[in-house]
Amino acid sequence: MTENKGSKILVFSTEKISDPAIDLAGLLKMHYPPTVYTINIPCSSAVKSRWIMHAFNKGFDGVFIAADGTDCAFDESCTDNTAKVISRTHELMKEKGIEPARLKMAAICSVCAEPFVKQMKSFAEYLSKS
Amino acid sequence: MRNKIGVYICHCGSNIADYVDVEKLKEIVAKEEGVVLAKTTMFACADSTQKEIVQDIQEKNLDAIVIASCSPKLHLFTFRNIAIRAGLNPYNYIQVNIREQCSWAHSDTPKQATEKAISLVLAGIERAKHSKALTTLKISSVNTVAVVGAGVAGMRAAIELADMGTQVFLIEREYFVGGRSSQWNKLFTTDETGQEIVAKLYKKIITYNNITLFTGAEIVSKSGSVGDFDIKVKINPRYIKPGCKLDWAKFEKAVEVCPVEFDDPFNFGLTKQKAIYKNYPSEFPEIPAIDYDKCNKCGECVKVYEDIDLNQKPETININTGAVLLTTGFDPYEPEKGEFAFDEIDNVITLQKFKRLIELNEKELIYRNRKIRNIAYIYCVGSRQLDGENKYCSRYCCTSAIHTAILVKNKYSDINNFHFNRGIRTYGKQEVLYTESSEIGDIFLQSFEDSPPVVEKQGKDTIVKINDILTCGKELEVVADLVVLVTGMVPRKINTIADVLKVPIGRDKFFNEIHPKLRPVETVIDGVLIAGSCQAPLNITESVKSALSAASKANSLISKGEIELEPTLAKIDETICEWCDKCSEICPYDAIIKTKHGGKIIAVVNETSCKGCGMCLPVCPVNAIQLIGYTDVEIESMIEALI
Amino acid sequence: MPEQKSGYDVLVIGGGIAGEEAALNLANIGYKVILVEKDISIGGKMIHLSKVFPTLDCAACITTPKVSETARHPNISIFTNSEVKDIEKNSEKNFTATLVEKPRYVTEDCTGCQICEEKCPVVVNDQYQWDLVGRKAVYIPFSIANPRIAVIDIENCILCGLCEKVCPANAIDFTQEEKQTEIKIKSIIIATGYDLFDPELMPRYGFGKYKNVVTSMQMERQLVPTRPYNAVLRPKDGKMPDNIAYVLCTGSRDETIGNPICSQVCCMYSVKQAQLLMGALPMADVTIYYIHVRAFGKGFCEFYQQSKGMGVEFIKGKVGTIKENENGNLVVRYEDIEEGKVKEAEHDLVVLSVGILANTDFTTMFKNIKIGQDNFNYVKQTDELTNPAKTTIEGVFVAGTASGPMDIPDSILSAGAASAETASYLRRTNNEK
Repeated sequence: MTENKGSKILVFSTEKISDPAIDLAGLLKMHYPPTVYTINIPCSSAVKSRWIMHAFNKGFDGVFIAADGTDCAFDESCTDNTAKVISRTHELMKEKGIEPARLKMAAICSVCAEPFVKQMKSFAEYLSKS
Repeated sequence: MRNKIGVYICHCGSNIADYVDVEKLKEIVAKEEGVVLAKTTMFACADSTQKEIVQDIQEKNLDAIVIASCSPKLHLFTFRNIAIRAGLNPYNYIQVNIREQCSWAHSDTPKQATEKAISLVLAGIERAKHSKALTTLKISSVNTVAVVGAGVAGMRAAIELADMGTQVFLIEREYFVGGRSSQWNKLFTTDETGQEIVAKLYKKIITYNNITLFTGAEIVSKSGSVGDFDIKVKINPRYIKPGCKLDWAKFEKAVEVCPVEFDDPFNFGLTKQKAIYKNYPSEFPEIPAIDYDKCNKCGECVKVYEDIDLNQKPETININTGAVLLTTGFDPYEPEKGEFAFDEIDNVITLQKFKRLIELNEKELIYRNRKIRNIAYIYCVGSRQLDGENKYCSRYCCTSAIHTAILVKNKYSDINNFHFNRGIRTYGKQEVLYTESSEIGDIFLQSFEDSPPVVEKQGKDTIVKINDILTCGKELEVVADLVVLVTGMVPRKINTIADVLKVPIGRDKFFNEIHPKLRPVETVIDGVLIAGSCQAPLNITESVKSALSAASKANSLISKGEIELEPTLAKIDETICEWCDKCSEICPYDAIIKTKHGGKIIAVVNETSCKGCGMCLPVCPVNAIQLIGYTDVEIESMIEALI
Repeated sequence: MPEQKSGYDVLVIGGGIAGEEAALNLANIGYKVILVEKDISIGGKMIHLSKVFPTLDCAACITTPKVSETARHPNISIFTNSEVKDIEKNSEKNFTATLVEKPRYVTEDCTGCQICEEKCPVVVNDQYQWDLVGRKAVYIPFSIANPRIAVIDIENCILCGLCEKVCPANAIDFTQEEKQTEIKIKSIIIATGYDLFDPELMPRYGFGKYKNVVTSMQMERQLVPTRPYNAVLRPKDGKMPDNIAYVLCTGSRDETIGNPICSQVCCMYSVKQAQLLMGALPMADVTIYYIHVRAFGKGFCEFYQQSKGMGVEFIKGKVGTIKENENGNLVVRYEDIEEGKVKEAEHDLVVLSVGILANTDFTTMFKNIKIGQDNFNYVKQTDELTNPAKTTIEGVFVAGTASGPMDIPDSILSAGAASAETASYLRRTNNEK
């Protein structure tokens, strides 16, 4: 429904770790593309492949998982488990002919506002070229 | 499906309305199916608006509300309470963040910010439509707090908690209590010494039945969650028989015969320490300790001091606690080799070491066999770094250095103090110290960040040079008998507790609070609180204030016997589940149980153990697991609304 | 005969951020609290601020929820427009206080519709906009006031009765009289806050004489969302300023005006205002004249560096005098410390970063027992290092800036300490009995 131009990116952020970083980016008025939309969830290892595939099917150009990384308050297995979600989804994307690079993950700590903004800018740029 | 939804769009003064066209936003969302009311408001959090929302919910019989405003981290609970007051289930309230993640982040492109806000609010409405009325889970909590670190902040918090009727386990890594404060002499403003304060607090602590102190102890693991943490504490042996009294003469003999000698960390290497030690005679607990890591168990001490028992073993105990309060303190900044000639010219020392030197020199100030007259203090070492990582100001050092300089001048004769500073920050009432030091003839020389003073050797002399901006940038130099580097505070170097508890770390590497004004002593981990200088550089009064605040927060959190938990739990559809073990394997909380149900084996979630992380969701091969509040229909309808 | 009320545990004097925080903490543990505020709304000074350093949260976003939580709390009773006339200590844990509630001349039936305000013919300076604009003699104090009901400024009212005629709720009541209430409490928290320095006491800066010399509080009001002109303008001619000067330490660190200490907040609020001005007036130059920039708290130094990066100019120098030109611009004469010269610079708006002084209201409240004051007229802390809220009277505690200058995070921690000390005092004395 949005009229915003540019590559649309869906971000899965986590309530306690990466979402505060995205808030911080706003607080510091660090700008990133307005076509980045965030849905937050408790932990990055909870993202289902079908949600990601749903986003691609409905027209998102890229999906970014702002992962808890080693900061995860739930468990240290979070990093591995999130990576497994990514690799399983990459397989599904290949089957559907979607370029795997359209799904990205990076650990975003609770104050990583700058890395988040950089990630968004470079991801949007990549998506606009491909 | 909810179909009587009220939507409120907050101007947040100008914070949102300056960038997002809130009227346009209102008009668009008002047309959305299921929305029966859409309003804009100056401040959604203001009391009058809150009342209005309550009235709307009741009069219009709303079955869900959406408030588009700031980050839910700020006001989720404020707004949930509105729902509760109006008789609406709080989980039928959805907050949409159009400030931090929209108007502010895209303040450069207002038009696009408005478009994005529309999508975000529409997604919020979708989520509201599918929202369920949920009841919070109540878990029981033990009225116990583990306070980690028995410095002044930790001891003060322990006393306060014990006064409020909470059971306290006070866990100290060192063998003695007092932390950094016991190293300092007279303190501003009361002139009490650090050791006097520590003694006062320790003597009070031992009168409480509900405070248990462990020394030589460290938390090595944690499981469970708020209200019901299980922590394992490793306690190193003291090698002194329990219950015995201190025999000073025998203790001194034992020190004499102990062959293990090393630089004394308490005195920053000014003196030597043995494996058996007390840092100062009146240190608490009274009995000495033998350092578990340093002792070579030669047995010489046992021969002269029969109260020593080298057969003691480290033990690990389990503690069940409702909350953990960290008061683990700071380390002084350790200058790098060559930083203001540290470790290169032998009469360059840190402020903290200098303070110990003063205490160890009763009559005359001597360092490395040289009588000290001219002292150069170099400020902001390790703080306010232009190139280094420590961008922050360490807050206490200006006052501490000036206070020490006045002390030195009063204690010894012929002292000249030269303060090479970058702008003195004796904030508040501490200003009187700065005035006093100027009046007694201390010299202040100032430079900017980018042209710090230089310390160098000229022949036998140590020279400090500066382009002094107080005298129009003249190059001035002082021949110093001693150069004191006014080193700031850094987080503890050995900080294993941070890893064990996963404490969030801020930009300055100190432990991070949730919000400096709203929730200054809490962390994002429920039940883990922080106070004192592990959170930021603070002086003693400030540390005590935060310790007391944390004590009352911890007490009100766990003393009621039960804690309400978010009902965000995994739920397994028993009609789909074909027990495969994948979810129970991945669950970090052992919350998934194999059960027989209606003739087949399925997985069931144990509600009190499940923490709602959702790790089990993606691993289910038949998609039988939904996370309440984050179900497929909620997430997927939001995705559709966003695009 | 004053009305008598009992059954309360704690009297909190002052409804600013420190008083609210302390009252909420105690009320949440289950103590009954009476909160007395002399102003017509609770919220203290913070509720009037724009944004707060170093997070740049809007002040209203942090205070209004606290204000409404306080107002709604079942364990807190609030008296606004009221003063504590006297306090008597009867015995351990037994104080009697007399409260005087001044008449509002408007009953609680007021709906805040502001029709009376529209009709009232009297215009006077609006104290809640720091005299930048006017208000009526019957008025709602400010948009986020709590309670949000009107009040009649009887000193300026001409008793025309128009308000009474137009009020749809029949809430105007000129017969209201001062009301006294006697309360029994077990302990007291003083959270009476601070006063701002009045720069008219420093005639060399021309405040009061030159309209384009304003205080930092007046600038603060120009930067809030509910600001009087909806833009930053200089008062004399309504011109948008493009060259603004800040004079730090106005009324602080200055023996000549009797305040030798540092006010602890002015450096940072000036740096904050400079950043906000850069946003509101992108073309404007902002110069800050300072002695030392005291950016000492968590995140402050980074915030200060950030303002330098944005182009705020910092000049180390003490301002001697300010004179006005014919065009309303101001000539600031200062000693440039770096160059060792006395210089002059022209600015079109000068903001005096006024310091904070002890509000000494607390000194006259105690009747049969004296409350100690420190050298700077604040409430004396008798055990500053380990019991920071303790005062010279057993059972009386201090929170926030009543004990000395401090910023908002420090006030909140100080209030936390005061409530903890009060709670353990009440529990301790209960156990002994």
